[in-house]
Amino acid sequence: MNHAKKAAIFNKNEAKVNWHDKALWYVREKRDNAAHDVKGWEYLREVASGIKANVLSDLDTYLIEFESNATKNGIKVHWASDAEEHNKIVHKVLETHNAKKVVKSKSMLTEECHLNPYLESKGIEVVDTDLGEYIVQIAKETPSHIVLPAIHKTKEEVDALFQEHLGTTPSNGNPEYLTNEARKHLRNKFLEADVAITGVNFAVAETGGIVVCTNEGNADMGAHLAPVHIACMGIEKIIPKEEHLGVFLRLLARSATGQPITTYSSHFNKPSEGSELHIIIVDNGRTEQLSREDFRSSLHCIRCGACMNTCPIYRRSGGHSYDATIPGPIGSILSPGKDLTKHSSLPFASTLCGSCSNVCPVKINIHEQLYKWRQLIVKDVKQPVVKKTVLKIVGKVLRNRTLYNLAGKSARFMLKYAPRFMVYSKLNAWGKARELPEIKNENFDTWYKINRKNNG
Amino acid sequence: MGRDAILKSIKNNKPTLIPSPEINLESFEEEIDVLTAFKEKVALVGGTIIELDSVKNIDTKIKSLYPNISKIISCVDESQLGTILISEKTDPHKLESIELAIVKGELGVAENGAVWISENDFPIRVLPFITNDLTLILNKKNICSNLHEAYKLIGKRKRTFGLFISGPSKTADIEQCLVIGAQGAMSLTILLIDN
Repeated sequence: MNHAKKAAIFNKNEAKVNWHDKALWYVREKRDNAAHDVKGWEYLREVASGIKANVLSDLDTYLIEFESNATKNGIKVHWASDAEEHNKIVHKVLETHNAKKVVKSKSMLTEECHLNPYLESKGIEVVDTDLGEYIVQIAKETPSHIVLPAIHKTKEEVDALFQEHLGTTPSNGNPEYLTNEARKHLRNKFLEADVAITGVNFAVAETGGIVVCTNEGNADMGAHLAPVHIACMGIEKIIPKEEHLGVFLRLLARSATGQPITTYSSHFNKPSEGSELHIIIVDNGRTEQLSREDFRSSLHCIRCGACMNTCPIYRRSGGHSYDATIPGPIGSILSPGKDLTKHSSLPFASTLCGSCSNVCPVKINIHEQLYKWRQLIVKDVKQPVVKKTVLKIVGKVLRNRTLYNLAGKSARFMLKYAPRFMVYSKLNAWGKARELPEIKNENFDTWYKINRKNNG
Repeated sequence: MGRDAILKSIKNNKPTLIPSPEINLESFEEEIDVLTAFKEKVALVGGTIIELDSVKNIDTKIKSLYPNISKIISCVDESQLGTILISEKTDPHKLESIELAIVKGELGVAENGAVWISENDFPIRVLPFITNDLTLILNKKNICSNLHEAYKLIGKRKRTFGLFISGPSKTADIEQCLVIGAQGAMSLTILLIDN
């Protein structure tokens, strides 16, 4: 099902769409306030983009440097070419420790690798411990936003889910009560866990350390209680120096939620006495994206979600309409690189307004890349007959002045006098959910000529 | 598959070397009162900040804040309120019912209200997260303006585990309503001392 069709499903509940739209715009506004509070914000974005460009141009060297420093500090480093290899490595570590219970903090990479179903098929219990991810996990759904995983759920829906899974009493969706119930439940899971899995926000080549950011403290609760911590990272999470964290941590939370920094920014450099720290470095299509000059900079992404919050399409279509691990504008330039046919509708899920590029903390030219994907897609992927035919005709008409004038005249005539079922037909995508504006008798050209005459 | 394949693929696919940018830190410098800014930001992120005239007042203050608790771990010499002793060997799971942890804050950051704490300041890593309430003792002199400065100041540390902590644990995952107290500590109090 393409993006437009899935978006139509989301749009059936108008009140919910309106709420979703406003809630995300509010987060965007908070981002603006936080950004304006920082002197040199635009320069900070430039620097961050420059660091990421340098990283990608020397990525192999940095990864080797990171591995060497991490290993020196007693961290076990693994490498995985794809999702399958990643999942197998995780499972092998679990097997070595005879682990049956895993707590996981938010990691879009493990979502991308479909780690949960893999481990569950091996008889292992995996509990997502970020509250939003826990909600979507018990709802048997996927996150609809990379920072706000359950933004598509109303509090009443969460209430019902918690009644079913945690045995809570009905509370009309009281957020304090529900959060506290989840806290109690998850606390036991942390205490019982054999292994904790987390993502990685930044991996520092110079020190061999990793930084994990959360607001809830769930990554740390897991990692410091379980005897084994597995951290999973894409190859692009590397930054050269620790001082670069100053740049990225200033940008990340402000761009994501408008907070000046996340509550916890934890720097792991060595495993604690008697415990193990494993890091899995994953490719899974990233080196292929690196080869594409036009789309390479999509690997700058630090997963803040600012492009989603600002996107007029994302806000009104919901994350699930993208049918991809990373939704929204950034997902729409990453996903086609993985499966062009499956994700061919995503680069069209944009007005190309450029707002995503304007807020991106690492200055990815998202809207330009969306446009470039469109050009590749119309060449490579079969387009709907209606769209193809209409565009062909339009191309001819626009090339020929007489035809263009004639088309304009007849269109104005038809739109005024043709019966409604003809005007609002399948051929008219604009008329699907909206009324067309009032049709004037003349086009601009004629209007201009007349008015020009009148005004001398 | 694995390491060699990934490194080879990067080598084949990466662009020609782009130098790392020089960072002109002067662009971020501001004429601000770091103490005032720090206090504002701590309040913004949901923390509480209390200024004390003397180190001697620490215990009186903490007692007045938490009159009815008994399970306290103090990791600072300035407080004698600790009721439970821990060491590097303590099983972290045993800290499950700790009500209050008192930990030294090494460095405050004015731009975001964060305080750097490290494993040197608490023997068990999970302590500042698993405790119900967390109190940090921070010297007024140790507040810097922004993260660039902070990383310079912590650059020479022995690297094991450390974190910037900014306010109490929080979440807004249910309809964007901010709730304090998700999986980590329910509150964060910073006692600012002057000596």
